[in-house]
Amino acid sequence: MHPQLQLLVALQDMMGMIREIEEQGSELEDMGFKTEGLEKLKEAQAELEAKIDPQLMGQFRRLTKKFGRAVVPVIGNSCTGCFAQIPTSFVSKTNAGRLQRCESCGRILYWP
Amino acid sequence: MDIAEVLKHTSSDLFLPDLQATDKTSALKELVAGLASGINLKNPDTILQMLQSREELGSTAVGPGVAFPHGRTLAVQELKILLARSTAGVDFDSEDGEPTHLFFVLVAPPQDMGHQYIKSLATLIDTIQDAGLREKLMAADNYEAFCAALKGE
Ligand SMILES: [Zn+2]
Repeated sequence: MHPQLQLLVALQDMMGMIREIEEQGSELEDMGFKTEGLEKLKEAQAELEAKIDPQLMGQFRRLTKKFGRAVVPVIGNSCTGCFAQIPTSFVSKTNAGRLQRCESCGRILYWP
Repeated sequence: MDIAEVLKHTSSDLFLPDLQATDKTSALKELVAGLASGINLKNPDTILQMLQSREELGSTAVGPGVAFPHGRTLAVQELKILLARSTAGVDFDSEDGEPTHLFFVLVAPPQDMGHQYIKSLATLIDTIQDAGLREKLMAADNYEAFCAALKGE
C-alpha cells in the first residue's frame, strides 16, 4: 500500500475511534471500558497528521468535511462512497505506489 | 443479541487455542496475524495500528482474565471476531493486574450499521462473567467445544 495512504487510513480509523468515544463513550464505559486515554489519543492523532504530506492533508480535510469520510473502500469494483465503477486498471496503479481518487466523487480510494 | 448470533461472525479459522506471546505488544501482533490468515487480510498493519490506538485509550482487559480488543477499521468489510486463548497468560495491562487468558477480538467496518459490534461486545462481556464458563473455555479441546461452552451447551 502507498505509505501515505496507510497513514490516511490509520488517521481516519483513529478519528472514528475518537468520535465514537465522544458520542458513545458512556455505552462503552457501562461495559467496563476505560477511556481515560482520550487526550493521549488526540495527541497521537496530531502526530500522525504531521507525518502526512500537507497538500494531501488539505485534500483529506476538505473531503472529510464534505463527505464525513475521505477514504472509502473499493468493494466489487465500486467506490463505496458514490457507487461509481472503478476501472480495474486503478488497482495496479495503486499497487505501483500512486494514490487514486474516484473520478466521479473525488474520494480517496482504498482496496481492503 | 444472543451468543449464537455473535458466534456467526467467527469461524474455526479464527480460533487461536494457545498464544505464544506473554506481553501486550507481541500478543496484539499474534492476534492480528491470526486474523490476517483467518480472513485473508491484505492490510494487517492497519488493524494492528487501530488496535494499538484502542489500547492507548484504555486497556481492553476488562473482564476477569479476559480482554476484548476491538474497533472499527477500513481494513475489514464486515464484523469479524477472533477467539484466542493463552495458557500461560499475557500481561495485558488489566485493571486488577492479573494475567489475561482469554481474548475476543472484534473488528468492524466503519459503516457497521446498527452497531452490531457494540451489541456483540456487550453480549460477550455479559456471557463471560460466569467463572464456571471461563474454566470450560480454558479446558475446551477445540473450536467446536469452545463455542459449545459459550452457548451454554
Ligand atoms: Zn466515488
